[in-house]
Amino acid sequence: MPTGLVFFPAFDWAITPTHPEREERLLYTRDQLFEEGIMDLPELIEYKPRLALKKDIARAHFCVPDIETQITDAHLYAAGGALVLADALMNKEIDNGFALVRPPGHHSMRVVHGNRGFCNIHNEAIMIEYLRKKYGLQRIAIVDTDVHHGDGTQDIYYHDPDVLFISYHQDGRTLYPGSGFCNELGGPAAFGMNINIPLQPYTTDEGIHYLLDNLVLPILEDFKPDLIINSAGQDNHYTDPLANMRFTARGYAKLNEKLAPDLAVLEGGYAIESALPYVNTGIILAMAGLDYSWVREPDYKEENFKETKENMDYIKELADYLWRVWKEREQLAEQRYERKEKFEEVNRHIYYDTDGIREQQHETIRICDQCPGYQIIRSRGMYSTGKVRVIEAVAIHHRACKTCQEEARGYYEQRKREREGLDVVYLQDKPGDRYYQCSADGEIEILD
Amino acid sequence: MLIGLDVGGTYTDAVLLDGQQVIKKVKTPTDNEHLLDTLVSALDPLLDAAQGESLERIVLSTTLITNLIATNRIEPAALVIIPGPGLNPYTYDYHVPDTFLLSGAIDYRGREIEPLDQQELKKCAEEINKKGLKKAAVVGKFSQRNKKHEETVATYLKEHIPDLCVLMGHQVTGRLNFPRRIHTTLLTLATQENYNSFYSEILKLLKKRGITAPLYILKADGGTLSFELSAAKPVETIFSGPAASTLGVLALTPEGETSVVVDIGGTTTDLALILSGRPLFASRGARVGDRLTQVRAFATSSAAVGGDSCLEVENGALKIMPYRKGPAYCLGGACPTPTDAMRVAGLTELGDQQKAIRAMEMLGEGLKLNPQETAELVLDKTTEKIIAEIEKMFLSWEQEPAYRIWELRQKKKVRPNNLVGIGAASPALLPLLGKKMGCNALIPPNAEVANAIGAALAKVNLRLTFHFDTERQFFFIEENGIQEKNREVKTLADAESFAMSRLIEEGKKLGIDVNDQPELVYSEVFNMVRGWRTGGRLIDVCVQFPTGILKQQEEGDH
Repeated sequence: MPTGLVFFPAFDWAITPTHPEREERLLYTRDQLFEEGIMDLPELIEYKPRLALKKDIARAHFCVPDIETQITDAHLYAAGGALVLADALMNKEIDNGFALVRPPGHHSMRVVHGNRGFCNIHNEAIMIEYLRKKYGLQRIAIVDTDVHHGDGTQDIYYHDPDVLFISYHQDGRTLYPGSGFCNELGGPAAFGMNINIPLQPYTTDEGIHYLLDNLVLPILEDFKPDLIINSAGQDNHYTDPLANMRFTARGYAKLNEKLAPDLAVLEGGYAIESALPYVNTGIILAMAGLDYSWVREPDYKEENFKETKENMDYIKELADYLWRVWKEREQLAEQRYERKEKFEEVNRHIYYDTDGIREQQHETIRICDQCPGYQIIRSRGMYSTGKVRVIEAVAIHHRACKTCQEEARGYYEQRKREREGLDVVYLQDKPGDRYYQCSADGEIEILD
Repeated sequence: MLIGLDVGGTYTDAVLLDGQQVIKKVKTPTDNEHLLDTLVSALDPLLDAAQGESLERIVLSTTLITNLIATNRIEPAALVIIPGPGLNPYTYDYHVPDTFLLSGAIDYRGREIEPLDQQELKKCAEEINKKGLKKAAVVGKFSQRNKKHEETVATYLKEHIPDLCVLMGHQVTGRLNFPRRIHTTLLTLATQENYNSFYSEILKLLKKRGITAPLYILKADGGTLSFELSAAKPVETIFSGPAASTLGVLALTPEGETSVVVDIGGTTTDLALILSGRPLFASRGARVGDRLTQVRAFATSSAAVGGDSCLEVENGALKIMPYRKGPAYCLGGACPTPTDAMRVAGLTELGDQQKAIRAMEMLGEGLKLNPQETAELVLDKTTEKIIAEIEKMFLSWEQEPAYRIWELRQKKKVRPNNLVGIGAASPALLPLLGKKMGCNALIPPNAEVANAIGAALAKVNLRLTFHFDTERQFFFIEENGIQEKNREVKTLADAESFAMSRLIEEGKKLGIDVNDQPELVYSEVFNMVRGWRTGGRLIDVCVQFPTGILKQQEEGDH
C-alpha cells in the first residue's frame, strides 16, 4: 500500500506578514516536491484536506470563549488534513501517512486562550481523539521530534495512561517554551507516560540516533502501542534560525525509517530554504520506503556532524536514567503521589508568547483506584488588552468508571447553576462523546 | 471558409465550414500505414465542394505522433541528466539505455549549489561519440529556473560531437516536475524528424492542389498552432482527437453550460468534461502510454464498454467483456452486444431485428429471461458502467488537491446540465443515459463529424506562466523556456502588466486575433522575509488567450 500525503501549505494564510509562520514557509518545499515528481510515484498517494468539525476540536480543547474565536479556516483544514489521513489509514488505503500541513499545533494545550508558539489547536490531539472515538484505538504513542518541547501534547495527555508521549527537544533552559525536563513524568494516573528528552544545544544526528536506538525504540517496544504518531517538527535542523541543534535532512529521514510512524504531522521548522525542502523530501521518501541517500543539503559534509565526547557522555547518562525511570515507573509513581488522597491539586502559570496572554491554572485531579478519573481545570486568562476571562472545565477520561463519570457530570451541572465569577463552564464528556459549554448566553452542545 | 480534418485511429472526419455552417462532410476509414492517402481522400471532396472559394485555413488533428510513440518508431537518443540532490534518479525508468548522470546542481531558486564536473562531461561526450548516437536530451533538475548547466552541457556536446542534435529540457517545458520534463523532452526529440518529414509531405500535397491557405495543427490543449511553429514541439499534438471532439461539442452546445462529452465507440466510451463552458484539463499533464508527460491536455477518461462489446453470461450473471468479436450480432457478428439490445428495445433501426432477438435469446438462456427482459438488463448494465465512469471523473476533479484556502472553499459539487453524444452508438443510448442522470441528452446535428468541426473552429491559444524572482532580478516563462534578467518588475501589479503585454506581443506572432480578450488566469505573490524584513518577492502570473472556438459573429461578416 502507498504512503498517504496531505500537502496543505496554506499559501494564503499567515500569523502576520513577516512572522515565521507565514505564506512563504512551505513554498520551497512545494517547489522541491513538485520538481522531484514525488506525487507521481506509485508509492505515494495525495489526499485533499477537509474541514475538521467543531466537535473534533472539542474532543481535545476548551476554547475560550468559544471555538470560532480561536480558529480560522486554515486551522480547520490543517487539522482536517490529519483526519483525512487517519481515515485512509484505518480504511487500509495507505500504509502510513504524512500530513504536511500548517499552521502547526503542538504547543496548544487543553485550555486555549490564544496562540502559543504559533499554535492555536493541536492537530495530532484532534486526530488521536478522532481515532479513539471512531475506530476504538486504545494505546497510542506520540514521538515529538520538534526542537521545542511539545508542551501542548504533554498538557493534553498528562493524565492519560493510554497515551505515551516522548519529546525530543533542546533543553528548556535555552529555548522556548522553557519546559520539558526529565521530572515532568505524568499525573498520578499516568506516571511515566510522559518522557522528556532535553538535549544540549548543538546535538547532532549521532546523539539523537543514540537516544532513538537506546531509549525511544526500546520504550515503544515495551509499550506496544496500537499506533505511533510523529510530531514531525523540523527545527532540530542545523540551519534553523530559531534554535541551535545540528540535525540533518538525512538524520530526519533515517529517524523516520527507524521509528516507522503510522502517521506523521508537520510541526515547526523555520529554515524555509536551507532545511525544509530537503527534510520534507527525506521524510516522505523514508516513509514511502524509497531511497533517501541522495537527499542532502547543499553545504552538507558528514564530518561536520560528529558529537563531542562530553555531550555523548551526557546523552548516554540521560538514556540510562530515563530507561530506569521507564522500567520503574510504577514504584516511582507510588513514591511521588500518595494515593490515599482522593484529589491532587496543582497550580501553574502558562505564558502565550504569540498573543501575550498570561494564564493561571488551578487543576484538580481526581485520583481513582478503578479508572483514570477526571480533572477540573480552573483557568484565568489575562490578556494583553487588560481583559480577563475565567473559565472552569471538566474533562472526563474515555475509560472513567461510572462513579467518576457521575461525579464529574454532577460537578458540571452544579457549576452551570452557580456560574458566578466564571465566563464559561465546559464539559468534555469523552465516554459519552458529548461536549458542552455554558456561558451567560446559555448552554450549547458542540456538534458540527 | 474553413476546413477541419481529424485523422482518428479508425476513421477520418473532414468538414468544410462556412462560418459554423457545414457545407460538406466526409467520413472515411483511416489507413494508418498511409496517412497521406487517407488525408487526400478526405480532403479532395471538400476542395471540390469549395469550388475555388477562398479558404481561410485548414486545421488538422492527427494521431500521427500518438502512433509513432505507440509503435515505438522513434529514434534512439542519449539522455544526459543533472539530477542534483533529492530523489534517487534511478527511481524512475526512462527506457533509455544510454543514460548519463552528471554531477552539478541548481536549487529551487535557480542558484547553482554544485558546479558541473568537466571531467565527467568530457567522458560523457566521448561515450556518446563512440556509440554513434545522433541525438541527445539534456535535462537538469530546476533547469527552468536556471538553464546554465543545461546550456554548458549542450554547447560542449555540440562542439565535440559533429552533427549531434541536442534538445534541452528547459526549451521544452518549464513546469515543475523533473521526471515529466525528461519524458517530454525525450518524446519531443524523438518525434521531431518524423514530424518534419510528414509536414513537408503535406505541404507538397497542398501545393500540388494549388492551396495557399495556412495549415494549422490542433494541439492536445485544444488550441491550434501553425504547422510550421508546431514542429518545434510535435509532442503537443498527441491526443488531439479528444480535444477535437470536446471543441466540437463546445461549438454545438449552448455557451457556459456544464456538459459531459460522451463518445460511445466499439468497445470503449470516451468521456471528457466541459465545466461551465470550459474544457477540463488533466492537472499535471498527459499520460502517454506508461510515460507521464507535461503536455497540457484535456482530462479524459474511458469506460470499457461500447456498442460492439462482447456480452457473456458467467455463473448466471451478465458480463460486459472489454473486447469485441466483430460487429454486433444483428449486423452479422459473432456474439450478442449492447447494439443488439438497443435494436430489441427499439432504440435503433440498425441491423436485423430477428438476429437481434436471437442474440438476446442466446444471452437470456443463462439468465432465465426473455429477450425483452434481457435487452433491458443489458441496457441497464451498459448505462450503469458509463455513469459510474462519469461520476468517477467528477469525483476525481473534486478531489484534486488544492493548496490555498480559497481554492478549497470555492470547489463545490458540480453535476452536468448536458450529456452530449458523439460517435456511432450515441444516438441510441444517450436518451437513456440522460434520463438516468437527470440531465439533457443532446445529439447535435453533424455529431458524427464533431471532431472535424472542433478542429475547424479551434482558436489559436496561448498560455504564458511567468515566475518572477525580484531579489534575483530574474524571470522565466514556463511554456517557452525564456529566462531573462529583469529589474523593472517589483510588485504584483508590475508583474501582471508585464506579463499581459508580453502575452499580446507573443500572441501577435502566432496570429491571434487582436479582438480576442487576454485573460489573467491567476497571480500570486510571496514576500521573501529575511530577518523580519521583506527582501524580495516571488511572483507567479499566468495569462492566456484561452482555448475555445471561433464564434459565429466573427465569421458572419464573410
